[in-house]
Amino acid sequence: MARYGMVIDTRKCVGCYACRVSCQMQNELPVEESYIKFYEKETGVFPNVKNEIIPVQCQHCEDAPCVSVCPTKATYTTKEGIVLVDADKCIGCKYCMVACHYGARTQDHNTGVVEKCRFCAELVAEGKQPACVSTCISNARIFGDLDDPNSEVSKAIVKMNAQPLRPDLGKAKIYYVR
Amino acid sequence: MVWGTIIAAYLFLAGLSAGAFLTSSYAARRYPEAKTVRFVGRLISPILMGIGLLLLIVDAEAGLKDPLRFIYLFTNFSSVMTIGTYFISFFMMAAAYIALMELLKKDTSKIVEYVGIIFAVATAIYTGFLIGVIGAVPLWNTAILPILFVVSAFSTGIAGTMLVSAIMDKKVVHMVMSIKKIHLTLLVAEVLLIFTMFLITSSTNESAAQSVSMILSGEYSILFWLGLVVVGLIVPIAIEALELWNSKKLHHTPAGLEVAASGSHGIAATMITESAVLAGGFILRYLLLAAAVPVIFL
Repeated sequence: MARYGMVIDTRKCVGCYACRVSCQMQNELPVEESYIKFYEKETGVFPNVKNEIIPVQCQHCEDAPCVSVCPTKATYTTKEGIVLVDADKCIGCKYCMVACHYGARTQDHNTGVVEKCRFCAELVAEGKQPACVSTCISNARIFGDLDDPNSEVSKAIVKMNAQPLRPDLGKAKIYYVR
Repeated sequence: MVWGTIIAAYLFLAGLSAGAFLTSSYAARRYPEAKTVRFVGRLISPILMGIGLLLLIVDAEAGLKDPLRFIYLFTNFSSVMTIGTYFISFFMMAAAYIALMELLKKDTSKIVEYVGIIFAVATAIYTGFLIGVIGAVPLWNTAILPILFVVSAFSTGIAGTMLVSAIMDKKVVHMVMSIKKIHLTLLVAEVLLIFTMFLITSSTNESAAQSVSMILSGEYSILFWLGLVVVGLIVPIAIEALELWNSKKLHHTPAGLEVAASGSHGIAATMITESAVLAGGFILRYLLLAAAVPVIFL
């Protein structure tokens, strides 16, 4: 069984928002709602400074606090390690939104259901790539099986020493190159 | 604010309801003659909890649109919210039964009352655990919070019960002096707990420090110092202490009670104190939700 994960190379990300737009199209989201948020971070001291653009979405944590906190079991982890929301079980209590370390969840005010990045589970099931990955203009995103050492994503993690945003906050399945 | 004023009101009402239930149970045992206190506590407890639950339903948009989904609330035992749902269910059943018996002027079952007491305490504690287990918000993620919530719940419960009791029968307030003593102790404990919590958590990490400074000196400082500390704690502590000191001078005779009820420290002091405590109880919960700075993850 595959265990899906992703690498995001912030050195390659130009902040074009193509991933966000394709995500919105794939998930039929309105303009103001999105599952990918962009953060900018400046590091260093002049003249050695770096400006980093960091796209953040659901990190699909192995030990996801949203899953343990959800009172209705609407949020669950699939066998492939993708964290999903069962829209028919969600009551919209927003406990998962409060519990998420990455602020990755949003509430759809038409249905009241809380949603987030789903690693495009339906595309992945067809053997395709998530929309944000296939649309990225600079190949900053790599998606695949973390358990397969020969997968592109596993090799990239090793080669570029990719790390989760905050390993101390739980076992995330999105790795960043920064 | 993901969880806003509605949730603050719910947390406040749940604590108040549990506290009122405990106040009435205590009054029923200690002061069988103070029927008003018992009656009021037993009656307002399920009503206030009911209002709180209605607020929760309104806030849970997806459930509001499809109410059958609320049944799933009983399914995930790793969630504090599920555990709380059980606590509230048992508490509500016991409190509603006892309120009904009180209205029908029938004897209540002792067992149901004890069950009610246990689940009232559980309900008050759970509201603290509900937000206390959230690692993403360091301000909440402290062991003191559930204790603070319990103390505040009992304190607001006494206040709510005494306020309504005083309106219905102004003599009764002076019959239950030990409740006033307990109330004073709780209020003093609350001051200690609040400052201990802020002092310790603000030194644990950046987000917590940010939350605490928002409350102590930032955008919520007026609400905190004026609303919670002065109105919600210092004024009630001062009046309550004064009342207790004065009451020592009055003998516990019917004549003494008459003097107490009609004298300078009549029901006005009680009304002010209890209303202030209630306001403080709500402000405490509102501040904790409003100043919830999440962990900085970048």
